[in-house]
Amino acid sequence: MGAQRVQLFATCLADLVFPEAAADAEVLLRQAGFEVEIPRGQVCCGQPAFNSGHRRAARRVARTFARSFSRSAPVVLPSGSCATMVVRYLPELLGIEPYDAWELSAFLDARGAAVPRLNEGRTVAYHDSCHMLRELRVHHQPRRLLERSGADVLMLPRPDLCCGFGGTFSVRQPELSVAMADDKLAGADAVGAEALVTADPGCLMHLSGRAARTTGLPVVHLASALARGIGPHA
Amino acid sequence: MTRLEQAPGRFRDVARAKLADAHVQRAITSVERLRSHRLEAWAELPGVEELRQRAHDVRMAAVGDIDGHLARFTEALEARGGHVKVCATAAEACAYVTGVCERRGAKLVAKSKSMVTEEIGLNAALEAAGIEPVETDLGEYILQLAGDHPVHIIAPAIEKTKEDVAALFSKVEGHPVPAELEELTASARRQLRRVFLEADVGITGANFAVAETGTIVTVTNEGNGRLVASAPKVHIAITGIERLVPALTDLAPLLELLGRSGTGQRLTSYTHLVTGPRREGEEDGPEELHVVFVENGRRNLLGTKYEEMLACIRCGACLNVCPVFRKTAGAAYGPVYSGPMGAVLVPLLVGIGNAPALPHASSLCGACTEACPVKIPLHDLLLELRRDLVEQHAASWRERAALTLWSLAWSRPLGYRASTFAARLGQGLAVRVGPGRAWASGRALPRLARRRFRSWR
Repeated sequence: MGAQRVQLFATCLADLVFPEAAADAEVLLRQAGFEVEIPRGQVCCGQPAFNSGHRRAARRVARTFARSFSRSAPVVLPSGSCATMVVRYLPELLGIEPYDAWELSAFLDARGAAVPRLNEGRTVAYHDSCHMLRELRVHHQPRRLLERSGADVLMLPRPDLCCGFGGTFSVRQPELSVAMADDKLAGADAVGAEALVTADPGCLMHLSGRAARTTGLPVVHLASALARGIGPHA
Repeated sequence: MTRLEQAPGRFRDVARAKLADAHVQRAITSVERLRSHRLEAWAELPGVEELRQRAHDVRMAAVGDIDGHLARFTEALEARGGHVKVCATAAEACAYVTGVCERRGAKLVAKSKSMVTEEIGLNAALEAAGIEPVETDLGEYILQLAGDHPVHIIAPAIEKTKEDVAALFSKVEGHPVPAELEELTASARRQLRRVFLEADVGITGANFAVAETGTIVTVTNEGNGRLVASAPKVHIAITGIERLVPALTDLAPLLELLGRSGTGQRLTSYTHLVTGPRREGEEDGPEELHVVFVENGRRNLLGTKYEEMLACIRCGACLNVCPVFRKTAGAAYGPVYSGPMGAVLVPLLVGIGNAPALPHASSLCGACTEACPVKIPLHDLLLELRRDLVEQHAASWRERAALTLWSLAWSRPLGYRASTFAARLGQGLAVRVGPGRAWASGRALPRLARRRFRSWR
């Protein structure tokens, strides 16, 4: 019997801005014994337009997902919010049957994937992204995987509080968005984390962009933290 | 004319000012206490999820037959000698209340806390008629002295500290009042006693109105609400048409959740049920009782995808958990309703084009939906409002053009590749225009990777 196949949806943000995170997700899936297919023609789930209320634009882009992915194997995404888009909103938006789609850590955890112990003795804080926490109800899984990688996972003060990214919110209300990021980064500093880990490229782009201007705290995608360790290369 | 409409740039302008105000930022952290008290109070309940569902169902059943309930309420209250008035607009409601006051020759009106009276601008209407309204809820009284509007529906003066209040009270009393809680309360009591005793008319809100019995229910903590409803000769209760519930037994799940969700109290200090004016042989209560039901746009929601918003019981739980509310300290949303419930309700009451910033005054994190005791899907409704903004052409042409072009490019893999190639060439310019500039004002702009993940393979 051959290895079970999964389809990796890199997501646009990881493809364009954090390609190493998508590559790390692929590595983790292969290490866990899956055959990873990366369907050609994949683009974006349409979320930027959908969350701004532009459903026609969102539908146009989301159709690329339906054209690229088959239902013959689970779809895995290194993004909590894109996974939410695919699981919760796409069926209604496109009038299609739901896909068997998973956020990466939820998938690895459910399949009992082994994780290399690359973070022995390191302390990290994990940032819950809102969609992943409240829509997908995925919160233990990424922490469990980080712990299995040897990391000491610290609890952020108010881990449920949004980091302020919120898609176009980040540019419609930049002052508020940045103030919310500051609270999140201050929380990570307060608990003494060496790095802040998140499973969402949106939060990652926002928090790392703010940290680069302020505290310098490394903000790392979960897939990278698991596949290559949190640093110093992170 | 209500004061709910607001210009597109207002939210961001006020938010920016509040973010820069260290005093406000410090004071607003007290919503954290309200939030943790709610969580403790919810944890005490044996089956909070079932209770929330029951409360939701009771509210939706009520909203589903507003006209029937209004008719039953009217019949029941009139049989007890009370008066019922349904008003379509804010102006009509103000005119009715002012008319009752004028007919009674009223000079002084004592008010207890009511967001609907804020919504319709009642105080200004009374003042214009030469009648003095005095707020007797401590928070509202503080705001009236300061000339400010409530920033939080149940903790209206939450951005004021005890030092702020001491300064206001010292001015009224003509001598320094120490910034100690007991001293301040004693001072408020001295100032308000006259109002309770001398007021010609008492005006309250109503948390619920029970159709079957014609009963109005007010839920308060300071006792002022009872004095206002019983000491003056005339009592006017003002509420929204959606606050009706069918029967007294329907109050149970709502009262179990209201105090717990707002302040973490199992019940508030006073739960006051009034059924009719004073009757023959009774010693207490007003001679005259009017219940004013305000529509002011609420009918717009009936039978639409937004109907659930009418289930709101105004507990404030969604404000206390909202990360955006915490940073804006409330005032940015407008002078009346704030937080997620305000961001949903106000555009629906005044028309989305008259409050176009509010549906976007959220990161859609969903904390509000999780905290709502009557299970209103607040963040989904915000998303629906954004959809309506686009479909009713209230979103800017620039936004529509940008997203249309983007979606056309990204509807094919080839367009995606071409657009990202172009973006890579242009990314040096991104910090200078539109969203790129907004992003880069506080954050490093992401660099597009030299090679996309997909091209590695």
